[in-house]
This record gives sequence, C-alpha cells and structure tokens, in this order.
Amino acid sequence: MATTTEQQSDSADTDDGVLAQWTQGVIGDDEKRSRLYQALFYVACGFFLVTTLFPFYWLLVLALTPNSAILTGDWSLPVIGLEFPHPQGFNPSAFVEVFQQVPFHLYVFNSFVLATITTIIVLLVASLAGYVFGRLDFPGKGPLMLGVLMVSYFPPAAFLIPLFDAFLGNAVVIPFLGIELFEPPRLVNTPGSMIMPFSALFLPLAIFILTTFYAQIPDGLEDAARVEGTTRLGALFRVIMPLSAPGVATAAVLTFIAVYNEYFFSSIMALENVPQNWSPLVGGILSYQDQYTTDFNLMAAASIVGVIPILILVIVAQERIVSGLTAGALKE
Amino acid sequence: MSTEQGTDTASRDSRRSGPHVAVTQWLENLGETAFAYLLLTPVFVILGAIALYPLLRTFELSMYVNVLGTGDPEFVGLQNYVDMFTGERDPDFPGSTTFLPDVSTSSSFPFVHVEGWFRSALVVTLVFTVVSVFFETVIGFGQALILDQEFRGRRLVRVAIIIPWAIPLVIQGMIFYLMFHPSTGFLTEYLANFGIVAPTNTLNDPWSALLIVTVADIWKTTAFMALLILAGLQSVDRSLYDVAKVAGASRWQQFKLITFPLVLPAVAIAVLFRTIDAMRIYGLIDVASSCTVVPSLSCMVVETFNTNRGLASAIAFVTAAIIGALAMVVIYRQFKEGV
Repeated sequence: MATTTEQQSDSADTDDGVLAQWTQGVIGDDEKRSRLYQALFYVACGFFLVTTLFPFYWLLVLALTPNSAILTGDWSLPVIGLEFPHPQGFNPSAFVEVFQQVPFHLYVFNSFVLATITTIIVLLVASLAGYVFGRLDFPGKGPLMLGVLMVSYFPPAAFLIPLFDAFLGNAVVIPFLGIELFEPPRLVNTPGSMIMPFSALFLPLAIFILTTFYAQIPDGLEDAARVEGTTRLGALFRVIMPLSAPGVATAAVLTFIAVYNEYFFSSIMALENVPQNWSPLVGGILSYQDQYTTDFNLMAAASIVGVIPILILVIVAQERIVSGLTAGALKE
Repeated sequence: MSTEQGTDTASRDSRRSGPHVAVTQWLENLGETAFAYLLLTPVFVILGAIALYPLLRTFELSMYVNVLGTGDPEFVGLQNYVDMFTGERDPDFPGSTTFLPDVSTSSSFPFVHVEGWFRSALVVTLVFTVVSVFFETVIGFGQALILDQEFRGRRLVRVAIIIPWAIPLVIQGMIFYLMFHPSTGFLTEYLANFGIVAPTNTLNDPWSALLIVTVADIWKTTAFMALLILAGLQSVDRSLYDVAKVAGASRWQQFKLITFPLVLPAVAIAVLFRTIDAMRIYGLIDVASSCTVVPSLSCMVVETFNTNRGLASAIAFVTAAIIGALAMVVIYRQFKEGV
C-alpha cells in the first residue's frame, strides 16, 4: 500500500490529505483500480478460507492436546501471550483411544452399510422414475413431478410419529377409516427402520438429478438400441444409464453423503446408541458426548475420524457434487 | 417408438420361452402411459408408505388424546391444537417454558393467543430461519463472486468452501459444542467481553445458544447458497460484459446493471430452498445445545412424542403446514416456468 501511495502522489492535483489523494488516484487510474480489486479479492478469499477451515483446525488442536491440558483451559501463545488455540503437547494416541473407549469403527461401519444400501435402492427406483420423467410423455406428468418435489420439502418430524409406531410393530391403520391393514415386523434397532425413511427423504433429489441427465441423451441412441432388439428396460439399463454415468455418479455421491450426514432418523430409530442396534456415526459421536463427558480430546478425535470419509469423497467428487446440487435445485 | 420395432423384438424373444419372456413381451406391448405409471410404481409405494401415509396419520392422531394410554384413545377434535396455542399443555414439555419470557406478552401476536412453549418454538424457528438465511445469502453471494473468477487455486478454494456443507450434522454440532463448552471454549471469554454471549454456561443460555446455533448453520450451509448463486452467475451471457466495457461501464455498474438483475431469479430459488430447509432445524440444536434450551418446532415434536402422542402430532402437523405453505410458493414458481 505504501508504495502505491508514493507512486500516485504526482498524479493528484489537490492538496487534500494523503488518504484522499490516494483514493482519488485509485479511482482515476484504471491500472491501480484493478490492482486494488485484486488485493480486495485476495483478502476476501483468505477470509473465507480461514473462516471455513478454522473449526477443523480447532478440532485438530483439541485432538492432539492431552485432555489434562485442555481442562486447564489456557490457550495463551508462549511468547506473545495472546489467547489463540494451538496444540499443547502432541498426543496422537487419542486417535487410537477413540476406537478403544467405544467401538467407534462399528458405528462408522453401520453408517457405511446404511448409506450403501440406501444409495442402491434410491438409484434403482430413481432411475426408473428419471427415465419416465425425462424421456416419456404421458398425462399427469407435471402434477406427479410436483408431488414428488413436495415430499422432499416436508420436515422429517411430520413423518416421525406414525413411522415410529409402525416400526415398533404396531398395526398400520388406514387414516380416518380405522381399518387395520397389517402388523409390520418390529423394525426399530434394525437397518430397515432407517433405510426406509432415508430412501423416501433422498429419493426426490436423485429423481430430479437423473431426470435432468436422462433427458439429455439423444432419442436416436435409444431408438438405435431398440432397433437392435433391446427391450425398453434394456435400453434404459444398457444404453441410457451408462451414457449418463456422470449423472448416476452425481446422484450416488449426493445420496451417500446425505445418508452419512443424516441426523433425525439416525438418532431416533436406534433406541440406544449401541452399534448392535445399528446405531450409525451419530450414535458413536453422541456416546462420547453422553458417556465420556470430559474426554474432550476424544470427542474431537472421533469427529475428525468421522469427517475423513466425507473429506475424501468431497475432494474426489468435487465436480459431481457441484453439478448435482445445482441440477437438483435449479433443474438446468 | 414405432410398433414395428416392438413386434420385431417380440418375434425374436418368442424363439426363447418361459415366464421371463412372457413378462418382457407384455412390457413391450404396454402403451406409453401404462408403461410410465408401471415404472413409477416403486416411487409411489415408497413415498406413499413413508411420506403420505405418515402425514395423514399424523393429522388423524392429532385429533385424539390418550393415544399411548391403556384405555381407548378419545376423539377430541381440534382440542390439541387449541391447547397447544393457549399453552394449556405447557407442563407436558420437559424443561423450562420460559424461553424469551419478557420479549412480548402473548397478546402481541395479532391473530392467535399463543402461549409459552409453542410461542418460544415459533420465535426460535423464525428468528433462526430469517437470520441464518439472510447471512447465508449475503456471504454466499460473496463466495459465488469469488468462485466465478478464474484464478490459480480456484479448485482448492472451492473445496474449502464446500467441505463444511458436506460434513455430518452431528460433527458440525460437536465442533460448536467444543468451541463454546465452558471447559474448552476459548471463544466464550472473548465474545462475553463484548457482551455477545453469556460468560458462563453459554450453551445453556437461550439467546447465546440460539446465536451459536445460527452461526453454526451459516458456517455450514453458506456453501450451498454459494453454489446455487454461482450456477446463476455462470449462466449470465459473458458478451454482455464486453458490451458494458466498450460502453465504459465501471465494475460496480456492471454488477448493478447486469450481474445482479440476471442472477436474482437464481438467488430467489436458493433463498426459498434454504428457508424451507432451515425451518426443519433440529439436529444441530440437539448436539450443540439442547432442545429444552432452544426449542424449535421439530424439537417440540421429538421432545413430546414419547409422552403425549396426540399433542406431538398436532405440533408436527402445524410444522408441516407452515413448511408446506412455503413449499407451495416454490412449486408455484416452478409450475409457472413449466416443469
């Protein structure tokens, strides 16, 4: 900044203060103005990087600091004396202890199983629907799409009570008629009680992503496959789906992340936070909060372990996530 | 699709035999409308069983009391709704009923007489939604403008911005729990000096906890907003900027006259999406603070559904109705554009 001020002083005609001169100079000079924009740009960039990444740094600091040092609560930097979180000591064993206190790997495993099964179900069902909405014309198409969209907006709390009743094994009753349909098996503490609501919750987004992608495949390719003797469904699974591989991958990644991150049903449908009840990642993290209430380094370490799979997925599938989010919401 | 192709396929398949072939042939000969509805059956079954049935059943349950008791459930019509609004059932809620005690008297709500917990939940949900969506839009716009530029390290910045969006809710809650917990939180002291949060027991102080939860949500979901706005920015015709440059428009004028008006529709959709999503707030509160400290609408459902199912159903249905009304706005917009 100082050099800029000196450079522009000759171009300023007025006798105003230094700052006013500098401002005048910057406004008047295109090159200086664009340099200022550039500086502002990097400042803003840096600001966003720091604010989004700082919480992860905080987790790392907590995980590496021995718990006794955390509890003293003194974060002053050695020389300056300013309070700023930094690792006090180096205690990577927290990352081992995380798996010893509670079977954290089992919770993560449960999450993976739930996410994988849900993703497969959602992809299959959404593929059929995406094909119908994207490539066929039939009466009632518009209202049906809106109906699917509508479902994705409702809060999970609106579905909770009857689902919970049904998953406990109580009879399913036709609303307002009082006719008992059937008694479902007791599904709480099993994967079914989570996979079913997950599938319904995340189906609409996958349908809209796949509709967008399937609609882009030229009709000629499908016709050619049909002339070759493929059935309609064969054309979907052998021609349209492979050609829309990026779209299928997008839907898969977003569904997987959504299930892995889900909180509402994950925390309610497993009645206790134990992995034997298929309690997923949510249960693992919460059991540290509930049972080991002062092991802050373990809470942080568990959070880091839980984030790593998602971190890898985001870095690998960045493009897919960006295109999927925008396609699902804006339907381009 | 012409029928010739269909019969051609059918004749090939008829050389083989078995039920599989019969089904295939039947599928091939279905009309397009019938075929479409057949393929949609799984969607209808899943959404009908997991969404439509629970929604209707919730409405039915909301008109009964003693749903969990030993005797027969008793039909009471809209009594649960009345009780909820007038605060008659406040003792059923665990925790205190004193969130925002002196903000207003109940008479300040113009249409209905709202009391205690339900009023708190409405205030919490609306304040959270409006504040978080506002800041997410503003900050997200800034992030989108940055990501719209070509510069070295753009992918890196984009990953950094997306990561908070992708992390599990429970971990997001845990991060902010650890940031403000009395034993670990280094931020509490700073912020308390400025009078922003309560100096002790910050996560159990209603206003402080609401603020922390709101900031946590802004931290996580701004990325979603940024990506949607970025998509809008990138759909703006770049040649418009060349024209503007030739005409001598400044960068600010370019932004004000070209970028902003053209991106506005995308921003509007993103805002509606986020508003609907923010109104469901539950998990973050549950992890970072507690539903008894910061009761949102969804919180109330979860807190009561094991003790008073009729009342919980009434709250759930009101929550769904509020969000459903908002969703209608979105759907109306998309219907106008033609799905």
